[in-house]
Amino acid sequence: MTAYLLHLAILAGIYIILTVSLNLIIGYAGQVSLGHAAFYGIGAYASALVALHWHFPFPLAALSAMLAAGVCGMALGLPTLRLKEDYLAIVTLGFGVIMDLVFLNLEITGGPDGLAGIPSPALFGLSFRPTGRYLIIVAVAVILVLLVTWRLVESYHGRALRAIRDHEITAQVMGINTPAYKVVIFTLAAALAGLAGSLYAHYITFINPESFGLHTSILILAMVVLGGMGSIVGSVAGAVILTALPELLREFRSYQDLVYGALLVGLLILRPEGLLGKGKLSLKFLQRES
Amino acid sequence: MFLQQLLNGLTTGSVYALIALGYTMIYGILGLINFAQGEIYMFGAFVTVLLLATGQVNFVLAFIAGMGAAGVLGVVLERVAFRPLRGFHPLVPLISAIGASIFLQSLALLLFGPNDRPFPIQFTFSSVDVAGVPVSTLQMAILAAALGFMGLLVVFVRYTRYGKAIVACALDRDTARLMGINVDRMVALTFFIGSALSGAAGILMACYYNATYPRMGLLPGLKAFSAAILGGVGNIPGAILGGLFLGMAESLGAAYISSGYKDAIAFAILILVLLIRPQGILRGRGE
Repeated sequence: MTAYLLHLAILAGIYIILTVSLNLIIGYAGQVSLGHAAFYGIGAYASALVALHWHFPFPLAALSAMLAAGVCGMALGLPTLRLKEDYLAIVTLGFGVIMDLVFLNLEITGGPDGLAGIPSPALFGLSFRPTGRYLIIVAVAVILVLLVTWRLVESYHGRALRAIRDHEITAQVMGINTPAYKVVIFTLAAALAGLAGSLYAHYITFINPESFGLHTSILILAMVVLGGMGSIVGSVAGAVILTALPELLREFRSYQDLVYGALLVGLLILRPEGLLGKGKLSLKFLQRES
Repeated sequence: MFLQQLLNGLTTGSVYALIALGYTMIYGILGLINFAQGEIYMFGAFVTVLLLATGQVNFVLAFIAGMGAAGVLGVVLERVAFRPLRGFHPLVPLISAIGASIFLQSLALLLFGPNDRPFPIQFTFSSVDVAGVPVSTLQMAILAAALGFMGLLVVFVRYTRYGKAIVACALDRDTARLMGINVDRMVALTFFIGSALSGAAGILMACYYNATYPRMGLLPGLKAFSAAILGGVGNIPGAILGGLFLGMAESLGAAYISSGYKDAIAFAILILVLLIRPQGILRGRGE
């Protein structure tokens, strides 16, 4: 039982990183990404590959994962600067589908069988294979990510991002370099998702394309919306709730997606600011002035 | 071989075009993308297949019932998931539509089970030689049906009172209201027609691939969305061209480049087009 709770805590930690990073794009910069699981997958595969082929220790593998995912995020962010809402949605979604097929078809990623035998982290001969010890690594990563994002959104740069979200042209007039901010935030969010992928790969020690498809992208989105767009505490809550909920409602497992779908629609209509979105960060900003 | 692939592509492309018309009409009038269009396509197919499976309904009736059910589902969706969110930032209805899409997909999974269902009636289709290429009459029938629906839609939009009212709402909702047009009713009508066309597309595909299953709408829906953007959202001839073009590109790409990446081709083209010409092949109403 304890082992199981620890397992859930690790998964929740990984989802917290994913949700917070997607929230940076959606809730703070006001952009949209429906392919976030692709960066998660890129991180997982990159980390697994460098660990398997070049025997990188875990910290280096995690860094490689962040680098690979970040570079891909920048590669997607740069050309899509001009695109807005629906267009950006379909391009990021298309990117997710393409990456899913790439994982499935490349030889180096093992195709549909995926990669097995990914080494667990070890430090000075101390293995982090036991679930309890692995949780320490995840907890450290989550705390670091939360600290970085929290400092970011409370800083000048965070205010600049929110200005872009609220009114891009006004932000530009105020001298904010909007394209640079958008690319940087895309890159950062992708790198964080890559870190989550690395944590996942070295924990489960086996990865295949199934974990990184459209379904996962939408699950992360549901976590962001549930917690509240533009609220970091909300993202943490959203990730924890949606990780725990399917476990608590075991018998209703087949209704899981039904609940997620209804949750998204119902929440947007009844409480668009999410569970923990604060008034000032609520979706009121999304209401069009006319 | 080349002509054969081109024809296969034209057949699936005509179905993408039918779905793309729904996206484009709804975008034209409301400025939002109905992400759940693929699920409407799936429900249309299921209604027809289930009715046919009872053995008591003839094909034409079941086809009309499938389209009707899809249309009604579209109208219900508009009432529940979109109307309360009108006037919000486009991100909000977009996410709501994604929620509706997951909801409908898992509902279908619960109601109909995960397995493929074959099309209940077998048509005896033969192969005809056209310029040395064997063409199945099933393909010709699907192509003809899809093109027929498109023709009907164009005539409806151009020449009937209601069609013109929809165009007026798409051009300027407030002015249309001043002219005495009931905008909400026109929006509902647009959803009905767009969804019914998607339903028809679903039925045609269910017949073509002889398979109906809960996730069948996912990829065609996304590809048709790409087709609509490719043609310029809000632009009806654009959606038709975009759909046909994507279908053919996909079929040729799968044959000559790599079949493993077949589903990626549509998105790769879309991303390239958006980078070079964000307003689509034919200028859309969106920009």
